[in-house]
Amino acid sequence: MEADAGSSPLDETGNSLHSGDSPAKAPAFASRPPHLRLFVGVALLTLSACDHSSDVDALARVKTVGALVYGSDKEGGGPYIFPDPEAPRDVTGFEVEMMRSVAKTLGVRAEFSQGQWDRLLQNLDSRHVDLVVNGYEWTETRARDYLFTRPYYVYRLQLMVPKIGPLASWNSLKSPRNDGRKWRVGVLVASSADVFAAEQGGEYVEVVRFDGATDAMTAASHGQIDATLQDLPAATFYRARFPALRLAGEPVGRGFYVMFFRKGDETLRDAVDAGIGTMIASGDLQRLYERYGIWNDAQTELASLSIGSLNVSGAAGPTGLKLLDRYLPLMLEAALVTFGLSVTAMPLAMMIGLAVALGRLYGPLPLKWLLTAYVELLRGTPLMLQLYVLFYLLNLSAWQAGILGLAVNYSAYEAEIYRAGLQAIPTGQMEAALALGMSRGLALRRVIVPQAVRIVIPPVTNDFIAMFKDTSVCSVITLIELTKQYSILANSTGGVLEFALAASVLYLAMSLPLSWFSRWSERRLAGLGSKGGVLA
Amino acid sequence: MSMIEAKGLVKRHGTVEVLKGLNFSVDRGEVAAVIGPSGGGKSTFLRCMNGLERFQGGTIAVDGVTLHVEMRASDRSHCLRQICRRVGMVFQSFNLFPHQNVLRNVIEAPVHVLGLSEAEAIERARRLLDRVGLLDKLNAMPQALSGGQQQRVAIARALAMEPQAILFDEPTSALDPRMTGEVLAVMTDLAHDGLTMIVVTHAMKFARQVANTVHVIDGGLVVESGPPEQIFEDPREEATRLLLAEVVAA
Repeated sequence: MEADAGSSPLDETGNSLHSGDSPAKAPAFASRPPHLRLFVGVALLTLSACDHSSDVDALARVKTVGALVYGSDKEGGGPYIFPDPEAPRDVTGFEVEMMRSVAKTLGVRAEFSQGQWDRLLQNLDSRHVDLVVNGYEWTETRARDYLFTRPYYVYRLQLMVPKIGPLASWNSLKSPRNDGRKWRVGVLVASSADVFAAEQGGEYVEVVRFDGATDAMTAASHGQIDATLQDLPAATFYRARFPALRLAGEPVGRGFYVMFFRKGDETLRDAVDAGIGTMIASGDLQRLYERYGIWNDAQTELASLSIGSLNVSGAAGPTGLKLLDRYLPLMLEAALVTFGLSVTAMPLAMMIGLAVALGRLYGPLPLKWLLTAYVELLRGTPLMLQLYVLFYLLNLSAWQAGILGLAVNYSAYEAEIYRAGLQAIPTGQMEAALALGMSRGLALRRVIVPQAVRIVIPPVTNDFIAMFKDTSVCSVITLIELTKQYSILANSTGGVLEFALAASVLYLAMSLPLSWFSRWSERRLAGLGSKGGVLA
Repeated sequence: MSMIEAKGLVKRHGTVEVLKGLNFSVDRGEVAAVIGPSGGGKSTFLRCMNGLERFQGGTIAVDGVTLHVEMRASDRSHCLRQICRRVGMVFQSFNLFPHQNVLRNVIEAPVHVLGLSEAEAIERARRLLDRVGLLDKLNAMPQALSGGQQQRVAIARALAMEPQAILFDEPTSALDPRMTGEVLAVMTDLAHDGLTMIVVTHAMKFARQVANTVHVIDGGLVVESGPPEQIFEDPREEATRLLLAEVVAA
């Protein structure tokens, strides 16, 4: 399961996890909006950018502390890093064991710090970890912004497809589907498979981006997507858990996993690089990979590779306004997804919420119990889990699941707001309406609800604005909305600050008009009786 | 013939018996004033007439529609709807709809309950608001009006249903003396017009001058009924004498 919305860089890394001696943080499904992370990220980045020069030697610092802190993501992270089945509070995996050995060559212990996979480099920027190691492939963009080690693994990409299905190999994707639709190929967002599928997939492939490698495999075995392209080690590791899937054809693509360090930390990088070299030379690394079943002929190349074999060529990519100019259409598209989700889900939530509130207040007893359970269940469980149920278990499309999930989840909150609003109306109002011969329903419709609506405008507006930002949770069901697009672009281009600002501006552009509208309608309705019905 | 009749009315709040087999009747065109000490059951009795309170024993007959305890819920609400169309109510705290202006308050029920066209209802509302002296307040919001004005709008709102009778639940208790005067003047006017009225009140002068019959309710029973001259000048019951003595002392 993913814990995307669960944690901010502050608590991910502020309380970094010790693989050995401290309890791992339980997967947090809290509904704290991921956009918070975005701002915290920007703030930390700005702060950290200022004190690079005053840094002491990185290797000396690590030795003083006695721990080498590596950022990694244990969710769906086999065989790289995953909760140890024997001791679920600890992590294990070939990278965990490798880091243990490398740290030993430095005379320190290795310490794991959990982070969302596609944001690990931001945790590196914000100085919460010393390095990132998690199947991170070497790319030119990353190489420009970070220091890197020699390759520790030569990866290839493997297509996984449902056992019963038309796809035989990567090349099958080059011909159109029978029904004329595109092949939907799931990938881990911002991974090498993502880049490869987008660049090499061709005209018949639609790339569907998941927050976790195993999420894409789940979707493929449910038939929600046609195939998933995975790093070979992950495909090998998880094939047993997904019996409905098979490995289709030979692996494709090729690249190197390296570890990334902050610029300026050359001494530390060099020491770790030497540690990797030692493991390769001694054959320890081969034995490790063999134990995990990921050793293959391609790995023999490792011994002949070095940092120098990965030289950066070409000019640096654009930054600042040029960067925004190039990617603005993508940001706007994502903002449209955010906007579309919110403006369809919120009115639904308000309608369902009102019905639930009325049922709870005026319905027969069994209905009251049922609706109370409805509210408690939906408010008491995380939106993300609800989205998972709708998307993976009920097999709804991403948009259906997103809109329905948000609407139903928020309806519980809206129901409580309406209930409070309805209860704030003096009983004399209902009595007066009944005494005029109105039925209960008519009295509610004509007298009680219109008054309650005035009361609930501010809190409902509040929730509406919150929803704009909560839509980011929908990235777990492959909807690339604003926060996710920010994350993808910040990652692939290194323009963290630029895209954070752009995303913030776009969020404000959505929420501010709503605030203004709310204040306007409050003022207008206040003119029509701000005393809320107490007339005596 | 009785327009409204209650027989053996029993009302309990948990173990407390608020009405203890109360009998009451009012004829068509009659103005009945109900007086009595606070907590004696006057308002509860009135609210049983149009279903705002449920009762646990006895019957209420309003203009040929009979409510009794064993009724099925659906029959009961059907009967109450019938009764509420024919019998209006005016509350101590006015209970105007604060989100609607004066005109909307008055036409709301005629349009949505009786099915009048908006034009007909507005025509009727203008006539009634003129009658209570508030034609110039058509577009005012309720909270912009004084208490006396609000209560007069509430009376117009009740009249807009063209009821056979109106129940008044302490209509002037929330008003100062000048506003009380405005409202009682309107009520006196209605009484002279032959409207059947049951008025729970502390306004003894009104009871004496306008009512045809005065009922004293105390301890959940009607302890004495009679024409105002008899009740006020020659009370037969101790409870009535005590009540009147208190009023004089006040």
